[in-house]
Amino acid sequence: MKSSGFRLLPHTADIRVEVRGKGLPELYAAGVEALFSLMVDRRRVRAAAERSFTVHANDPEERLFLILRKALLLFSPDGFLVRAAHATIKDTEVEIKVAGEQFDRSRHAVGREIKAVTAHGMTVRRVPWGFVARFIVDV
Amino acid sequence: MRFQEVSIRKISENMWEIPQSGGMRVPGLVFASEAMMGEIVRDESVRQVMNVAHLPGILRYSIGMPDIHWGYGFPIGGVAAMDLDEGVVSPGGVGYDINCGVRLLRSDLTAAALKPSLPQLLAALHREIPSGVGSTGFVRLSARDEESVLLDGSRWAASAGFGSGDDVEFTESGGKYPGADPDAVSAVAKKRGRDQLGTLGSGNHFLEIDEVAEIFDEKTAEAYGLFHGQAVVQIHSGSRGLGYQVCDDYLAGMADYMRRKRIELPDRQLACAHIRSPEGEKYISALAAAANFAFANRQLLAHQARETFLKELKMGPRDLGMRLVYDCGHNNAKFENHDVDGRSRKVLVHRKGATRAFPAGHADIPSAYRNVGQPVFIPGDMGHASYVLAGEPGAMRLSFGSTCHGAGRKMSRTQAKASVRGRSIAQDMEKRGVLVACASWKTLAEEIPEAYKDVTGVVNVVHDAGIARKVVRLKPVAVVKG
Repeated sequence: MKSSGFRLLPHTADIRVEVRGKGLPELYAAGVEALFSLMVDRRRVRAAAERSFTVHANDPEERLFLILRKALLLFSPDGFLVRAAHATIKDTEVEIKVAGEQFDRSRHAVGREIKAVTAHGMTVRRVPWGFVARFIVDV
Repeated sequence: MRFQEVSIRKISENMWEIPQSGGMRVPGLVFASEAMMGEIVRDESVRQVMNVAHLPGILRYSIGMPDIHWGYGFPIGGVAAMDLDEGVVSPGGVGYDINCGVRLLRSDLTAAALKPSLPQLLAALHREIPSGVGSTGFVRLSARDEESVLLDGSRWAASAGFGSGDDVEFTESGGKYPGADPDAVSAVAKKRGRDQLGTLGSGNHFLEIDEVAEIFDEKTAEAYGLFHGQAVVQIHSGSRGLGYQVCDDYLAGMADYMRRKRIELPDRQLACAHIRSPEGEKYISALAAAANFAFANRQLLAHQARETFLKELKMGPRDLGMRLVYDCGHNNAKFENHDVDGRSRKVLVHRKGATRAFPAGHADIPSAYRNVGQPVFIPGDMGHASYVLAGEPGAMRLSFGSTCHGAGRKMSRTQAKASVRGRSIAQDMEKRGVLVACASWKTLAEEIPEAYKDVTGVVNVVHDAGIARKVVRLKPVAVVKG
């Protein structure tokens, strides 16, 4: 697996995701991109517009949880699909900037509905080359 | 039978007790056959039954149904009844899809008579029933309309022309949970739900045409309006994005409550608040609002299904005879009267992936069913069978009036998709005699029949345990999936 990116882990009822990043900003960005990859083929999403949001937390897992929750709201209810994400950390604040476009039924086959990001089993671990995080989404 | 360090005791043919230990306030009780229990101890669901037993105010047992599997905090297939004064309410004990449930519509048609029209009827249903991610409902709700939906559920739908008084009467709780407060539902939740009223959703949600294939209890089948060979329609859906967001909002808030009150539990997804606290009361009123949204959602889906049948088959309503048998939820928390230590008292019953199953004589079921018991719908996978059951007195004694809700998954989504590589799901299903229409064949692969446990085994456990008895078996003939 590459130094950033995601893979799916076994989970019977829902979807368990593992993401990687060489630093925490890359990890958080990978998390947002993984979330949208679960819903849509991101290669078909144009980087036509930008959105941004911030979260505040001390704990890396709490930050990831808040970031993913807010990212999900970009699509439901706002109908915005993310192609790429970028994260910047300043003290306890993390700013997420995303590039993407509004959902267009004629071009975007959104296959999977994500009900929510859960805190269940959410982990962020430091590894020799960077960080690995795992989380579960309810589908 | 052992689960890690815990010795599980068989107390009867289909009932297993997990002894009270450590911080558990009550023992655990799992309804399962021996073979099922052998599978159940291989995932974390037994641990979750034990964790739920730590909740303040839990009464008698932390219960698991035979379709139990790993969830968030509570297992799916979990039941827990709480004392109102000492007890807590937990959004994890309801689930993200508040009042997800099933409704069954009967008709005067036979499946055989319907067969020649089935492909065109299925195509029309797929066209007319909004399904799949990003779909929007055919009703445009103003903010004020949405508040009425949250307050009145099915009753709003009937008054808006999407149903009848019979539909309301034959819906659990008359299609309306009391005590709903639209102001307890966040603006984001309302926004998530507003365009989704009247949509099926995706994943394991479906609209299915079934044939009544086998009758186990003639008297009850007749009371429900069911006959052998009949065409019926099941609808499985819930509160859509509105309900998901309500759960999400309150899980976050209750984590703060627990920190302030120093409530320590083995799993943070068991986030909870005391029922009688402002936080608990607010969640319960938001839950009621979301539950009403789900009732209205299923009512609109049923309306649309009826209209499509009438149009495609060129029949009048009297000839079609499509009436609601019942609508019941399987993700909720409800105030109910139950016998605790020989005394009837009001408690709060959490059912997460579990269905209410009130027996004959219970005042809270429609008078037309009071001689036979409340209908319960247990959908299986899309290839095999579903069941209609009736609540039994054993449910009131053993499980706070509850039974199972479905088959439960046994295969992860990635495993399911891997197993269909090189196969055509449509052809496989057609060989089984089931036509399928879906929004996404890629995600349909995740829902193949092999991904689910055997629903017949699940139903036989609850039947043999005396908590719900088999009435009819349904065989799928056509299904719309999101």
